[in-house]
Amino acid sequence: MSWSDIGTISPVVIAILVAAAILIVDMAVPGRRAPIVATALGGLGIVAVAILIQAGHNGRAFGGAYSLDNLTVFLDMLFVAIAALTIMFAVDYLESRGLPIAEFAAVLVFAVTGAMLVAGSTDLLLLFVALELMVLPGYMLAAFARRDPYSTEGAIKYFLLGSFSSAILLFGLAYVWGMTGTTRVDGVAAALATAIARGSIQPGLAMGLAFMTAGVAFKMAAVPFHYWTPDAYQGSPTPVTAYLSVGPKVGAFAIVLRLFVGALGPLKADWLPVVIVLAALTMTLGNLVAISQDNVKRMLAYSSIAHTGYMLVGLAAYAGGQQSGLSAILFYGAAYTFMNMGAFAIIAALQRRPGVTSQIATFAGLGRRDPWLGALMTLFLLSLTGIPPLAGFWAKAYVILAAIQAGGWLTALAVLAMINAAAAAFYYLRVVVYMYMREPAAEAGPSSPGLLFRAGLAVTGVATLIFGLFPALVTAASNAANVFRG
Amino acid sequence: MSLPILSVITFTPLLGAIVVAILPSRHPDLIRRTTLGFTLAAWVMSLLLLAAYAFGQTGFQFIEAHNWIPSFGIQYKVGIDGLSVLMVVLTTTLTWISVLASFGPIKDRVKGYMISFLILEVGMIGVFVALDLFLFYIFWEIVLVPMYLIIGIWGGANRVYATMKFVLYTLVGSLLMLVAILATAYAYQVAHGGSWVGAFDYERLQQFAAAGGFGGNFQLLAFGALFLAFAIKVPMFPFHTWLPDAHTEAPTAGSVILAGVLLKLGCYGLIRFAVPLYPHAAHTFAWPIIVLSIVAIVYGAIVSIVQPDLKRLIAYSSVSHMGFVTLGIFVFSATALQGAILQMISHGLITGGLFLLVGVVYERTHDRTIAKMGGLAATMPIWATVFGFFILASAGLPGLSGFVGEFLVFVGSFGVAPGIAFASIVVMVLAATYLLWMFQRVALGGLSDFLRGLGGHLTDMNGTELATLLPLGVLIVVLGLFPSLVLDLLRAPAQAFVAAAGVAVGG
Repeated sequence: MSWSDIGTISPVVIAILVAAAILIVDMAVPGRRAPIVATALGGLGIVAVAILIQAGHNGRAFGGAYSLDNLTVFLDMLFVAIAALTIMFAVDYLESRGLPIAEFAAVLVFAVTGAMLVAGSTDLLLLFVALELMVLPGYMLAAFARRDPYSTEGAIKYFLLGSFSSAILLFGLAYVWGMTGTTRVDGVAAALATAIARGSIQPGLAMGLAFMTAGVAFKMAAVPFHYWTPDAYQGSPTPVTAYLSVGPKVGAFAIVLRLFVGALGPLKADWLPVVIVLAALTMTLGNLVAISQDNVKRMLAYSSIAHTGYMLVGLAAYAGGQQSGLSAILFYGAAYTFMNMGAFAIIAALQRRPGVTSQIATFAGLGRRDPWLGALMTLFLLSLTGIPPLAGFWAKAYVILAAIQAGGWLTALAVLAMINAAAAAFYYLRVVVYMYMREPAAEAGPSSPGLLFRAGLAVTGVATLIFGLFPALVTAASNAANVFRG
Repeated sequence: MSLPILSVITFTPLLGAIVVAILPSRHPDLIRRTTLGFTLAAWVMSLLLLAAYAFGQTGFQFIEAHNWIPSFGIQYKVGIDGLSVLMVVLTTTLTWISVLASFGPIKDRVKGYMISFLILEVGMIGVFVALDLFLFYIFWEIVLVPMYLIIGIWGGANRVYATMKFVLYTLVGSLLMLVAILATAYAYQVAHGGSWVGAFDYERLQQFAAAGGFGGNFQLLAFGALFLAFAIKVPMFPFHTWLPDAHTEAPTAGSVILAGVLLKLGCYGLIRFAVPLYPHAAHTFAWPIIVLSIVAIVYGAIVSIVQPDLKRLIAYSSVSHMGFVTLGIFVFSATALQGAILQMISHGLITGGLFLLVGVVYERTHDRTIAKMGGLAATMPIWATVFGFFILASAGLPGLSGFVGEFLVFVGSFGVAPGIAFASIVVMVLAATYLLWMFQRVALGGLSDFLRGLGGHLTDMNGTELATLLPLGVLIVVLGLFPSLVLDLLRAPAQAFVAAAGVAVGG
């Protein structure tokens, strides 16, 4: 270890310091929210600056275990944005329920630190450790409303299935290490390439691949490994759900990029059929089940499963020979982050008063009761549906385009994705129906969110529009972040 | 080129939407008048555009092209030919009429309604001027959302069902169309050494298609996807079932735009994109499509006879009338195509007028059931006269615009298959049957008990209502007597269409 190693991972180090600083500030001035929020957001701002300073540089730290490249920068920025937005959306919600803000913010920043470490991991062991650092705080966040039985139940399911999947993933990593003799991803890729050239791929490797696929599929909530998602999403406090629906998902795709593309890329012809089947199942089942949900959080949970399926189409396109599939995944992740967090934020705004449920009836007459919230929710839902010119449309278009370019079975997958997108319109627009075409319930009062919350909503709304109107701005970044281009 | 007039026309309603959004919602009259002002401005500009349009020239005029997403060659490219300019004028005309017709009936949430209408106009004009396939798709989808809201919020009792059906039908078609558009661009890109430049550019794609660039099997699939999207929008039998529901539940102005412009989007897509880009597939599928068109013509007419609801009757008659359009497109003759386009315009004017007239009655009776009506001619003589005029126009009375379009389609398709032309002439008798019988039941005879119960509410049409119908009536007469005004404009596009479809110019 040298000072240059520390310099390379400086954003991660700063993020850890920010988490610690939040706890210290809470001890110094207990019970005050302003200093904590200022520390958290200011600290995340410093992290963002540290990341941006590194933009365009390439570097390796700790003997190649950690890599700094454009992919790391892109994902790190996304994670920081996720953390900042989560805090902005959470403060009102937590305060009105008497839940501690400092612990929340600190745990969240720790989780994001793990995610940032995942983004730069180019070593199987570091990847696993970073993954655990990302998901363990996630379990705590899911159980954050500890007196709420649903929160506890969802968190326990999330914890149990998450631990299993981590163990399964680790088992697969061990196989790969055993078969290739190295834990560095470039070393694994080189060893696999040689083995393929010699025509001697051992069956053990297939076992390892199967375990790793199952492990990662759990993390990204792909069907049939998705069972924890609806309960965890519905039970968690809404701002936590907003985080869970994007943070760990983008993190899981970061693992996919570093592990499946970076290390197991030479085997892509072997895992292509698996990804096609996973993608087809995930988007179809996610959408079909979402149609019958009456709880908006649960509905968005299934919709998030469906979006995992669309993103997997991009991965399949990569495996089918189109590098642009990976850029498409990155664009999708960024677009999904903003539109989905926005949608959850609206639910959180409605639930500002404790006791308000996330049933779809809560949305009745929102368009009249609170025109701005209604209009923004419509924007997010239309974007999730994939209506142009909004962020979600380009996300789908890029994924589909990559699949069409790859051709063959992937064209059929693209058609299936579009049929799914049409079916998804039903449940997204159903919320719009409630907001604009039903009369409000008698007792529903105005939600009047705080200034910070409004700023967060403005960010997600503007991002959804900007991504839609000027997608070239984002594709420039996502193309640059696709470090796997040949 | 100095002024980007097409962009100005397209985005004037968007500016209007932004202005209306800022206005306080406690002044509904201000909002109404502002909206009318912006739609009238777009209308006037579109008339200037028509006047400035160079008749007789081939190709597109007033082209504006800017790179939008250079990495995929996606452009903001707009331009018009004789077909587009007519469609733009039809759109702007019907939009301000619809806005004016909404002044009385729409009392609730006026602001949202007017914003929806203005955004709807942006999408509709955009579809007709877009010369980049991606841009076209985006405008196509933009149309969907405001119409969904207009039917769903300001519609009748069963509006939620109707609007969801409308959206889901349209989305299934349009998303498959997106796949086809991307695949088409990709095929172009592969054939041009992996360069995305111009891959979504309509003119380049069309030249590429004319040179036989797209493979046979590829054409069948891509055409199939585009055809499905457009056939749902037209709507062709058997994809028409969303239309009667949507029409019945939509507010009057929504029905006018739906019948007058939205159905034309599908026809326009077939003429502009589906046939010229995939001529081989168009020929392969031509006969099945012709058969479906005839089924639609006959089926729509027969089903219209038994409809108990005024709006439903007009909706089914639209299915029949649009059958003539698709028939005129797929016989690949210049005459038939000119007839089809004239029929598109004429159907927009006539059916738009009929929906306005039904709206007038509905405002006073809150009912559209034919069986409850009777004897309206006695209490509302002006209304009955105007209604009779539009009924005759719809039935294809010579001298009015409806006749010319259908006649040209007959002439054009007679050369291809005399049997088709004969079969469709029979339908004109059916059309006269259901339309005149409806008129008789509604307007003639003694005043029905239901109407008598309404007493003094049954006032005749007021000035505003008459003002919405007058321009339509004038245009119907003018186009009926001087169809060459439009046909001259359409000669070049029709010949280009037939050439692109790969058939010698007929008629």
